[in-house]
Amino acid sequence: MKDVAFIELKTTGHGVLEMPSGTGKTISLLSLIVAYQKAFPLEVTKLIYCSRTVPEIEKVVEELRKLMEFYSKQTGESNNFLALALSSRKNLCIHPEVSALRFGKEVDGKCHSLTASYIRAQRHSTPDVPVCRFYEEFDAVGRQVPLPAGIYNLDDLKDFGRRKGWCPYYLILHANIVVYSYHYLLDPKIADLVSKELAKNSVVVFDEAHNIDNVCIDSMSVNITRRTLDRCHTNVDTLQNTIQKIKETDAAKLKMEYRRLVEGLKEANVARETDVYLANPVLPDEILKEAVPGNIRTAEHFVGFLKRFLEYLKSRLRVQHVVQESAPQFLKDIFDKVCIDRKPLRSVSATLSYFYSFTIIIEPFEDRTPTIANPVLHFSCMDPSIAIKPVFQRFQSVIITSGTLSPLDIYPRILDFRPVTMASFTMTLARTCLCPLVCNYPQTHTFKNTLTLTLVDSVIRNYGNLLLEMSAIVPDGIVAFFTSYVYMENIVASWYEQGILENIQRNKLIFIETPDAAETSMALEKYQEACENGRGAILLSVARGKVSEGIDFVHHFGRAVIMFGVPYVYTQSRILKARLEYLRDQFQIRENDFLTFDAMRHAAQCVGRAIRGKTDYGLMIFADKRYARADKRGKLPRWIQEHINDGSLNLTVDEAVQLSKHFLRQMAQPFRQEDQLGLSLLTLEQLESEEMLQKIAKIAHQT
Amino acid sequence: IALSSRNIFSVAHRYMSCRPMSSLSEEVLLVVKKVRQRKQDGTLYLMAERIAWGPEGKDRFTVSHLYADIRCQKISPDGKAKIQLQLVLHTGESTTFHFSNESSALKDRDAAKELLQQLLPKFKKKANKELEEKNRMLQEDPVLFQLYKDLVVSQVISADEFWANRLGDINNADPTSSNNKQEVGISGAFLADIRPQTDGCNGLRYNLTADIIESIFRTYPAVKEKYSENVPHNLTEKEFWTRFFQSHYFHRDRINTGTQDIFSECAKQDEKGLKSMVVQGVKNPLVDLLSLEDKTLDEGYGFCKTFPSTSNSNRTVKESSNSAIIKRFNHHSAMVLASLQFLTSSTDGNSRDSDFFQPPVKKVKLQEVIEYEDLQRENRPKTVALNLKKSDRYAHGPVPLQSQHYTTSQDIINSVNYIRHEMLNYKPNLTQVLSSTTASSAIAALSPGGVLMQAATQQAINQMVPTEVQGELKHLYAAAGELLRHFWSCFPVNTPFLEEKVMKMKSNLERFQMTKLCPFQEKIQRQYLSTNLTGHLEEMLQTAYRKFHIWQTRRMLRKT
Repeated sequence: MKDVAFIELKTTGHGVLEMPSGTGKTISLLSLIVAYQKAFPLEVTKLIYCSRTVPEIEKVVEELRKLMEFYSKQTGESNNFLALALSSRKNLCIHPEVSALRFGKEVDGKCHSLTASYIRAQRHSTPDVPVCRFYEEFDAVGRQVPLPAGIYNLDDLKDFGRRKGWCPYYLILHANIVVYSYHYLLDPKIADLVSKELAKNSVVVFDEAHNIDNVCIDSMSVNITRRTLDRCHTNVDTLQNTIQKIKETDAAKLKMEYRRLVEGLKEANVARETDVYLANPVLPDEILKEAVPGNIRTAEHFVGFLKRFLEYLKSRLRVQHVVQESAPQFLKDIFDKVCIDRKPLRSVSATLSYFYSFTIIIEPFEDRTPTIANPVLHFSCMDPSIAIKPVFQRFQSVIITSGTLSPLDIYPRILDFRPVTMASFTMTLARTCLCPLVCNYPQTHTFKNTLTLTLVDSVIRNYGNLLLEMSAIVPDGIVAFFTSYVYMENIVASWYEQGILENIQRNKLIFIETPDAAETSMALEKYQEACENGRGAILLSVARGKVSEGIDFVHHFGRAVIMFGVPYVYTQSRILKARLEYLRDQFQIRENDFLTFDAMRHAAQCVGRAIRGKTDYGLMIFADKRYARADKRGKLPRWIQEHINDGSLNLTVDEAVQLSKHFLRQMAQPFRQEDQLGLSLLTLEQLESEEMLQKIAKIAHQT
Repeated sequence: IALSSRNIFSVAHRYMSCRPMSSLSEEVLLVVKKVRQRKQDGTLYLMAERIAWGPEGKDRFTVSHLYADIRCQKISPDGKAKIQLQLVLHTGESTTFHFSNESSALKDRDAAKELLQQLLPKFKKKANKELEEKNRMLQEDPVLFQLYKDLVVSQVISADEFWANRLGDINNADPTSSNNKQEVGISGAFLADIRPQTDGCNGLRYNLTADIIESIFRTYPAVKEKYSENVPHNLTEKEFWTRFFQSHYFHRDRINTGTQDIFSECAKQDEKGLKSMVVQGVKNPLVDLLSLEDKTLDEGYGFCKTFPSTSNSNRTVKESSNSAIIKRFNHHSAMVLASLQFLTSSTDGNSRDSDFFQPPVKKVKLQEVIEYEDLQRENRPKTVALNLKKSDRYAHGPVPLQSQHYTTSQDIINSVNYIRHEMLNYKPNLTQVLSSTTASSAIAALSPGGVLMQAATQQAINQMVPTEVQGELKHLYAAAGELLRHFWSCFPVNTPFLEEKVMKMKSNLERFQMTKLCPFQEKIQRQYLSTNLTGHLEEMLQTAYRKFHIWQTRRMLRKT
């Protein structure tokens, strides 16, 4: 691991690493990069560590704090490193009223209404306009004062802000290490604000990156519903009124404002040429080079133009049937219908210039409810590489890492970059602490054209029996994943009718994920509580759901994970179909390959939730015989694959129960440090011994 | 030692049911005349601790059950010609009373039922616990089970005696459990336990016990409220439960339509409860799905994977019934958990709104997550938690049998010093050792096969005796050991109770010898095996007898 990443840093290239979770992926990357930073402060100035969820981000900072403590203990000198976590206002706000709001959007809105420049300007004339005192304080004093060196987690930042009376969200950041969410780097709408000043010789790490292609696509796609357009309409009206008013009072001022807008675009061009900023994928170079088109230079023109465009979109949303077209077609249609030329549109929504990577789909209704009109215009990106391209181009090293990245070669292909290194590590285990089993269930359902499920009754009963048997022998927590929410709902209903759930209740409490996040959070917490006392609990959950993506089930919170079926994505979605087509045409990736890859990475994610380290243990039960096929098995991460042998394939419920019993009994024995020493845990002396160095070199060579 | 335990097994039961009507000092709570049992007319008495029935014109009870022995009562369905009440005992036996007073049979039966309903739960807990405990001990310990069979089933000693100090041990072993009872949560499956049975004529029968009712009340406080509101003013208890089981509330997969249903309000209250739980949010930030995502700017844009909208308007009936089931299970499990109030209250309410309290929980959770057990630096010596059976003994050290043998630590230090001193000055006296020939012959004699080692080569018993005899012998030893333990535990005999016990024990021992040991001796004689086998057993018994005689003569002396 060290060697591999080291090569990468040296050669300033990009890399892909797969390493089982809980084996210290984060800490080894951090320590390595920090060491490198210390040794060559000029070559690597900054580490940007991107993770997915807020808890993950905070975890990374805590690990970093540990590392730094270790440094200062070993060297005896204090560090002058500044590392901090960045997050949205919701997580950083210290204003007593604003921070009490529960939703990010509300916090943002409220904050904006207290700190926006025009509000603050108003305050000069009418002093009773409320403003945020923390921001005022910060603006008056804090702007010039750098943050003292140290490790700042979100709470530390808040603390610091409270002590000083400054708003932590706006603290200026010249940190050596920044930890934040992917979106800050990938989503053009945010990256523009936060990340564009990052130095070129930074190292970027994307942790938990198994879904990075989806994040890229998300960040470049837009859905427009009728509601969006209505709101848009009122906003344009307001704008028009304001312009009208200003025009009456102060024509000169208006001109200036507008000039500033245009100047801004030009400046962006200058800045990019001098390589100060991270390129914004929404504003490609060639656009900036062209002058801002003349016919939208005045304010009325601009508003009129917006209105026409809006009307056009509205008319498109009135369709009765599904429409799918490519970007050029769309532009041509606009030109025909409302006489808007391509050029001005480009500067407004310049993404269209990547013509072929985008598609436009207009659906008049949801598939499930064909009678209720709910038109949506999906403007969807099909090429994940667009969003991430500036990152690869700009930074010298980008490392993509996760517990489940298999098969490794597909990521460079879909993200369109050339990695210097690719490696998949397995765990060296003193005891086999994971036990993957594949049960011999046939395929349970088929998706017909609509979302009606065909459920095979006998298989549902079999699934229920498996869960029932497992609930009797597995201690503490069991997590079961279904392939989709609708599917789970139906199975739960038939289990209820068949009385299976009641029997399960004799052994464990049952909690079920719902579409509502707050409700699910509650269920999750209760689930953990139930695991901590009594006979434990079962959590029924959905692959690709929020639980499967962000929640770990360490130790007794997940002693067994059952994956019912293969979590294929819902293939009838038009957006997906378009994307598959695109992948086939542009990257020569076959539809089935991609779908299997996608299903398997989600399955691996789900089952991987239970193992969080070498002292942990858990059963992984794949309840579908398709997992036994080579094409599926081969796409599981190596650290899971190597524990699947012929004996654990095609099992009946009884066989699976027998194997599980045996496994659980073995695992329940005390596991001490001495058992691991020398095998999966090395003392410093052992690590430095000649023999071990050779062994490590050999492993590094293989990978 | 608690001697309160009652036997729950059949043997003792027989003793009790034959108990004459002598102890009439008991408080009689209810007398019902004209009650038939086994086609015999008689009178039913409900007393403070037991229920009894005596045939007409006799002055003794032929049926008598302690309430603690009764598992449950059953009544004949309304409309049946015979109005009956059945008592089911823990042993599985049952007694049926037929109320035959034409005019007031139903009233009589209900009066008895009501009273029993109040009385039984009081005795039940204790009995249940003991019963469970005893059962568990017998199941876990095959030796004990064998003993039980040898001694109790064959009537050498009574079950009460058998359990007397067994259970005492348990109580001693875990003093906390007897003093402050651990609160028991409710089973997650209590609703599963009331699966209806069809009664053959197009109806369903639900069996309710006091436990289940309590579970329902604790899990669904709204139902309890309804119960106290409506019973017995508006509805009888039976009607209430009938409606409960018919209600949409109980069958949550049916869609709530009827409004006259008294439970529809409960459903609403439950929903409210669930909602308030949801609004309260979670304490552990690591499981808060709402704050997981760190992206607020583009909500509403993007290709967000929205679940199908949950509003009821565009969902089919089936779908909303499905989601009702899911909600119900979540709620049910949460309520079952919440019944462990003492636990939830102790986990310190870090309410969401007080931001200042939040960091601690969060910090702790974060630290937990990034800690690798196997990489911990400081190797704290792993200790085994001490499980003390008698903590005072641990605190005071072993109590000396005879005080003069007690050595103080000073004595020990002195003697160690003395030995050390001796060792320092030790000089081997080489002129006075054994001659080499004597030494080697001594070694030879002490080696296996040597003259002095003859005894050790005595053939192991397992080669001489057939296995079944061995097994029998083992059982005999175990049984004798048990009896002797009882016997010796009576000394010193300083209370009248112990006196009585020691007498009984002695006779028990004698009976054992007669009924068990002697037949075995005869048997091995018949098989021409060495009678030596039981020598030790007899010796033990003789010692006990001797002790008994000494004690008895002393007592006689004292008395005279």
